[in-house]
Amino acid sequence: MANSMKKIKLRMKSVQNTMQITKAMELVASGKLRRARERVEHSRPYFETLYETLFSIASEDDEFASPYLERRERRKRLYIVIAGDRGLAGGYNANLLRAVEADISGSEYCILPIGRKAVEYFMRHGDDIVSTDFVQAGDLSVSDCFEVSRFACQGFLRGDFDEIRIAFTRFVSMLAQTPVLLPVLPFDAPDKGPGKTRKSLMLYEPDRRTVFDAIIPEYLAGVVYGSLCESTAAEHAARRMAMESATDNASELMEHLNLYYNRARQAAITREITEIVAGADVEA
Amino acid sequence: MENFRLRIVTPDGLIFEGEVTSLSCRTIEGQVQLLARHIDYCTALGMGEARITLPDGSTRRAACMGGMVSMMGGECRLMAITFEWAEQIDHARAEASKKRAEEILARKNLTEREYKLAQARLRRALVRTGIR
Repeated sequence: MANSMKKIKLRMKSVQNTMQITKAMELVASGKLRRARERVEHSRPYFETLYETLFSIASEDDEFASPYLERRERRKRLYIVIAGDRGLAGGYNANLLRAVEADISGSEYCILPIGRKAVEYFMRHGDDIVSTDFVQAGDLSVSDCFEVSRFACQGFLRGDFDEIRIAFTRFVSMLAQTPVLLPVLPFDAPDKGPGKTRKSLMLYEPDRRTVFDAIIPEYLAGVVYGSLCESTAAEHAARRMAMESATDNASELMEHLNLYYNRARQAAITREITEIVAGADVEA
Repeated sequence: MENFRLRIVTPDGLIFEGEVTSLSCRTIEGQVQLLARHIDYCTALGMGEARITLPDGSTRRAACMGGMVSMMGGECRLMAITFEWAEQIDHARAEASKKRAEEILARKNLTEREYKLAQARLRRALVRTGIR
């Protein structure tokens, strides 16, 4: 009996240690989440204004042509996949990668992974990876996003790939994060009604095409940065949730173990008493 | 002088919002100055100094790189990649960056990529050090 008591005690100790770790990770994740959400909110106005402007340039005129608007026979897609650097975040990485796999189905593609988990996953699958320069999603700065964007735009103009999609996780709420596949290039110009040409009075300097072509890489970088911010927030939220339920499970387990321990202790005491009484009987 | 609304945003957040009398910045075509009642206008930004004049006549200078500026319906929006007010610029860092870039450029055996990166760094450093 003393043996089983000791075993339970050890088990309790280990559960308690794990609980401490998960608790700490939960606290760290909530702290980081707060910062990540602030970053999302800060970057949003920039990104929205940029999109509005591009949208209005592209929708204004029919004759307007830019290589970034050109819809080629779709042959090859580039997926920019933004996943996390670390596991232990519930289904965060798995959900995203599954969504990418589902979208890929059959078409020709190549991958630009961001984040260690994404790099490892696509390496293991032997997919066509265009660059592994962006392994750490955690410390990617704005200028790294520009690097990604420049790379993607050059490849697009060269014809290395004909369509670019970004896969990231949208931070819907503390409880829900959904993987999203966002087509970014060719830029989706809104459909114009037939025969309707609105003449715009906007002055573009030096001309519309130059402005548009200069802004598209920046737009792409903005999208990458925005998605990265969203993904980071989603990752921390997912990790917080996972760690919270782990802590809950651990404390539940502790309760059970405590009960077992007490029962074992009680049994040991009872047995000892029985033994003493039996011994006394013999003596008497 | 008449005023107009100006909004400056970067990926790091909203930098400025309010009334100004003029905005001057470097575009891909050169320095421009925008005043109130400008026609609807849109262009991409280059690297250089931006200057805004506030209604009380004071001016604020800043290093402004990349992005675009647009004037729509009398409201001006400047979306920059980096926008640092003169007082926020870390001059020591800019000087160091400039020196480092010059050292790299002085070397002979550079790949094209290294050369471009160093050149871009030098240009950024020069814009920053130029604003005092």
